[in-house]
Amino acid sequence: MSFLLQQHTSVLIQGITGKEGQKAAKAMFEYGTNVVCGVTPGKGGQEVEGKPVFNSVTEAKQQYPDVSVSAVYVPPFAAKAAILEAIDTDIPLISVIVERIPIKDTAYCLAAAKEKNIRIIGPSSLGFIVPGVGRIGVVGGPKELCDQVFQLGSIGLISRSGGMTNEVAWQIRKAGLGQSAAVHVGGDLLMGTTYADLLKEFEQDENTKAVVIFGEHGGSYEFEIVDLIKSGGFTKPLAIYIGGKFANLFPEGMNIGHAGAIVGRGQSAEEKEVVLKEVGVMIAERYEDLVTLVAPFA
Amino acid sequence: MNLYEFEGKKLFQKHGIAIPHGVVVRRGDDIVATYAQLNREEVVVKAQVLSGKRGKNNGIRFCSTAEEVEKAVNELFGIQIKGQYVAVVRIEEKLSIAEEHYLSIIYDTNTKQPVLVYSSEGGMDIEDVASSKIIKLPLDVRTKEVKLLTDIDINIDINIIQNLWSCFFSEDARLVEINPLVKTSDGQWVAADAKVALDDDAFYRHSTEAQEKAKEKGLDPASITKWDEFEPRTMLGRLPTERELAVKKIDEGEGYYRGTAGKYIEMDGDIAILFSGGGASIANMDALIKEGLQPANYTEYSGNPPREKVYQLAKIVLSKPGLRGLWVAGGVANFTNIEETFHGIVDALDELKPAYPIVVRRAGPYEEEGMKLMRECAKRNGLNMKLFGKEMSMSESVKVLTNIINV
Repeated sequence: MSFLLQQHTSVLIQGITGKEGQKAAKAMFEYGTNVVCGVTPGKGGQEVEGKPVFNSVTEAKQQYPDVSVSAVYVPPFAAKAAILEAIDTDIPLISVIVERIPIKDTAYCLAAAKEKNIRIIGPSSLGFIVPGVGRIGVVGGPKELCDQVFQLGSIGLISRSGGMTNEVAWQIRKAGLGQSAAVHVGGDLLMGTTYADLLKEFEQDENTKAVVIFGEHGGSYEFEIVDLIKSGGFTKPLAIYIGGKFANLFPEGMNIGHAGAIVGRGQSAEEKEVVLKEVGVMIAERYEDLVTLVAPFA
Repeated sequence: MNLYEFEGKKLFQKHGIAIPHGVVVRRGDDIVATYAQLNREEVVVKAQVLSGKRGKNNGIRFCSTAEEVEKAVNELFGIQIKGQYVAVVRIEEKLSIAEEHYLSIIYDTNTKQPVLVYSSEGGMDIEDVASSKIIKLPLDVRTKEVKLLTDIDINIDINIIQNLWSCFFSEDARLVEINPLVKTSDGQWVAADAKVALDDDAFYRHSTEAQEKAKEKGLDPASITKWDEFEPRTMLGRLPTERELAVKKIDEGEGYYRGTAGKYIEMDGDIAILFSGGGASIANMDALIKEGLQPANYTEYSGNPPREKVYQLAKIVLSKPGLRGLWVAGGVANFTNIEETFHGIVDALDELKPAYPIVVRRAGPYEEEGMKLMRECAKRNGLNMKLFGKEMSMSESVKVLTNIINV
C-alpha cells in the first residue's frame, strides 16, 4: 500500500516530547519507519531518539522538506491547532492518534484538509502498518510481538477498533496468511478516511487479493461500501464483521462502545449486513470467521 | 450527553429562540402550586425523557384544570416511555398553532460537516416524512454565520436558523432539533419541543473550571453553560444505579487522560463482564448473548489505564449481587500493559474471592507476567479460574465459561 507508506517516506511526529509521542517514536523506529524529526512548541532544540525537535511544523519542514506523513500525538484541546498547522504546511497524509477531540474541531480540520486534498486518518486512530515496510503509531505493539502478528501478505485489513486491528491481524496470521496493510480508521462519528476511501486504494494495490473489515453498529459508513461496489469501484473479495447486535437491547440514541457507535434507526448491525450481503460482501458471524471467508482468495 | 426537553429549551432561549412559557415538576413537588405559578389555564403536560416518541406513547397530555394537571403529572411519573424513566415533567402553555415546521442541525457523515435539515411538515418523526418534503443544506463549521449555500425555499424566519446555528456551534452540540417549530396564530415562531445532544468530548469547554477561566480572561462567565451541573441521567428505564454513578467517577478529574475505565451499564443478567477495548467489547457482548448467557453489565476499559483505575472498576463490577460467572476478555493488545491492568483485577479478586467460575482471555505486552499474577491469585484464593492467551479466540473462550456454568 504505497499510498500509505513506503520504505523511505519521511515521517514527522507532532507532540514527540510527550509521553505518548515518545513511546510512538520508539515504536516507529523499532519497526524501521523513517521518522526524521518531531515538533513540540517551546521544546525546539531538544532531541527524541536522536532526532531533532522543532518549535513548529514550518520550521521542521524547512529542514526536512520531504516530510510527507505527520503523526499527531497532542492533548485533545491542542489537536485542532496541531492538525491545522500540518495542513497549512501541505503535509499530504496526517495520522491523528488523538482521542476525544471535540467533534466540532474534527469537522473543522476535515473541511480544511479537504480543500487542499490532504488525507487525514483518524481521529482516535492508533495508526496503520504496512508489514515489513513501516508503521505509523503503535499498531502491533512492541517489535517482538508485532512480528508474531504481522507479516507481509495479501489480505487488506480495515478496523473501526484499535485493539481489534491487532486481534483480527492475529487471526489472519494464525491461519498462515499475512496482511498487505492494516489500518485503524478510528471509532469517532466523523472519520477522516472511511472504509470506502481505503477500499479504493486496496483495489489498486497489487499485493492485496482480498480485504476484511471489522465494523460496528451505528454510523453510515458501511453504506458507502455498498455504493462503491455497485459503481464497480471495488471488485476484490470482501468480508465484513459488524459488531453490536446486542445494542438493540438499548434505546435509540444511546452510545454503546466507541463514540461513533450510537444506537440508531437504519444503522444497526443487522441492517448493515442485509445491504452488504446484497452486493456480494461476505458476512462473518464471529470476527475470527473473517479470515476463513477470505482465505480461499488469498 | 442527551438533554431533557426542558434543558434543551433553556439553551434555545439563551440563543434567542422563543419557547413556550413553562415550569417543571419533580417527584414530591407541589403540582397544583407549580401549575398556578404558570398562570395559564390551557396547558400541555409533557414527560421528560431522553428520546423516543412521547406523543405516540402517551407521554403528552392536554389539560385545563388543576385537577387534570395533577392527575396527568402523577400518571406520567408512574409510567415508562419506551422503556425510559420519567425523571421530570414539564407543564407549559398550550400554543395556538397555525403552522408546524421541522428544523434541525446534525453532523452528516457524508460531508463530515453539519447539515441543516428543514421540512414544512413538522410535528411528526422526520424519518416518516417523505424525502421530497425534506430540504438539506450543507453547513460549514468554519463559519459562524449561516451561509445558505444553495437557493432554497425555507419558509421560516432566517433569524431562527442563525440562532439555532449559534446554539449548535457555541454549545458544542452534536444535534439540535426543533420539532415542531410552531408558527402561532398571531405570527410568532416558537420552539414547541427541543432535542439536544451535547458532545461529551467538549466537556472541558463547558465546565465550572471553564467558567473560571473565562472570568480570568475577562469574558462573560454566564455565557458558559456548566455541563457538570446537569443532573445524572440514563436512557434506560430507571435512574442511574449506585454502581453506574460510582464507575463514572473513575475517569473524572486527574484520572481523565490516563486511559478510560469509566464505562459501566448495569444489565439484568448474571455474568459479570470485564472487557478491554471498545471493539472487542461489542464483539464479545454479541458472542456472550449468542451463547445464551446473560450479561450483568456492559463494561470496557481501554487506553492502558493504571492498576488503580482497573481495581476500582473491577471491584464495582464484582459487587453486583447474584453473579454466576465472570468473563475477562480482550484482544491481542497493542500497547496496553497486561501485567498492570491485570494487577487491578487481581486486587479486586483478592478482596472479594468470588466462588463462581472465571474465564480469562487476553494477550499482548507483559502477558506472561499478567497471567502469572492471575494464576497465583487463583491459587491463593482457591478460585475456579481458566486462563487463555491468543491461542484461543475470544469467542471460543466464552464457550468454556458456558460449559462450566451449565455443568
